[in-house]
Amino acid sequence: MTVVLVADDDADIRDLVAFKLEQAGFEVIAVEDGQTAVEQARSRQPTLAVLDVSMPGLSGIDVCRMLRAEPATAGILIIMLTARVQEQDVEGGFSAGADDYVTKPFSPRELVSRIQALLSRARA
Amino acid sequence: MFAVFGVAILVLLGVLVGTAAGIIVVRVGRRVRGKRRAALAAGPRRALLAFVAENGEEGSEDLIAIPDDAWRAALPAALGLLGKLRGDAHSALVSVFLHRGAARAALADLHARSAVRRARAAQLLGDLELREAVPQICELLTDRDHEVRVVAVRALGRIGDAKAAWRMIASLDLRDPVPSLLATQALVQMGRGAEVTLSAALDHPQARVRAVCLDALGLLGATGAVSRMARVLADDDILDVRVAAATNLGRLGARGALQPLIDSLDPPHPDALRAAAARALGDLGAPAAVPPLAAHLDDGEFQIAHEAAHSLRRLGPPGIAALKERDNDHCREALALLQPDLVGAQ
Repeated sequence: MTVVLVADDDADIRDLVAFKLEQAGFEVIAVEDGQTAVEQARSRQPTLAVLDVSMPGLSGIDVCRMLRAEPATAGILIIMLTARVQEQDVEGGFSAGADDYVTKPFSPRELVSRIQALLSRARA
Repeated sequence: MFAVFGVAILVLLGVLVGTAAGIIVVRVGRRVRGKRRAALAAGPRRALLAFVAENGEEGSEDLIAIPDDAWRAALPAALGLLGKLRGDAHSALVSVFLHRGAARAALADLHARSAVRRARAAQLLGDLELREAVPQICELLTDRDHEVRVVAVRALGRIGDAKAAWRMIASLDLRDPVPSLLATQALVQMGRGAEVTLSAALDHPQARVRAVCLDALGLLGATGAVSRMARVLADDDILDVRVAAATNLGRLGARGALQPLIDSLDPPHPDALRAAAARALGDLGAPAAVPPLAAHLDDGEFQIAHEAAHSLRRLGPPGIAALKERDNDHCREALALLQPDLVGAQ
């Protein structure tokens, strides 16, 4: 089963995304901060991570950079999920190494489609 | 003497113990209330998450039937989700809120005496994307409270009805206006329907209003406004507005923006405008910009030569060829950025 890491300090969004992904057949690791996200990524090696940009402590961008910097986690697919919609924010997400960038307000259905599309492209 | 001292000590001790007991009672009370609220909210919250995850295909009757006290307990979660979702899940959640009479209550609260209630009402109506509420929310653009005005701008942006564009532009003229970036973002959310109004507002007497409208037009990709924006670039009295025109003409990426930007590269135009035009030509992406930019690689003004070099880099092979032909610090710096290792390090 494909393992997806979801990191968001907003419990409602975190639970919703986890619920939706479990429904779609993924195994989900849900965490509430960047530090735990990095630790879980190292120990559980998920295939994909959905990271909120604004989290206390390590931001999603910091987590993305840290995962990309380590050979063991560099291959994890990363989707940033954020309310930051300015051009420079999106650019910052991609330059940190994110594979996709989803802005809030978001559609849970679209998020799952993007995850599936990213996974298919990675497998191809 | 000792008796008076003893009584005073006793009184102080009594006050201390009373205060400590009061604090403990209040804290315990809060904790108990919090736990009760969490327990009350747990069921509705689960139902809410399942409903949203299913895109509202089933379960709306259950949510509408939740007793008022349990709904109130789950309301923070419902409001949080409402503001962060779109698509089918959002529409489904909106229908639940409407069935529970939330819109009616919020419309009434727009006129509440409390600024917090007015702001909350505007936020909810915005998150509900209720177009019928646009005229009433527009009234809040001139609210006496700054925070309420800010929330009203956000709400109008979320609703995205271009009919509110003119009222929002007019509100930028206030003595204590809403932040420019926020207004720009809300105007962009109104989409291409706001283009005519934004274009007309380029003749507004306030420079700040003209600059916000230029940014919104650029971000909207309003190619129909190129000639008006070019006129602002050439003729506006305020340098910052002309710089904004240059930046946004570059953002548009339209053919019609090329010549006005090239014309702004040379003196007697101010240096800040010349640099902005050089940067914008790189954003525009037209190979025809290569010769005029290459001609400024040795410009006496550092910023203009710097922007010209980096724009040539962004223009791809023809621009890079021009950089390689010339050998100066600006060219070397721009070419160095093409090396992936250096870009990663940046």
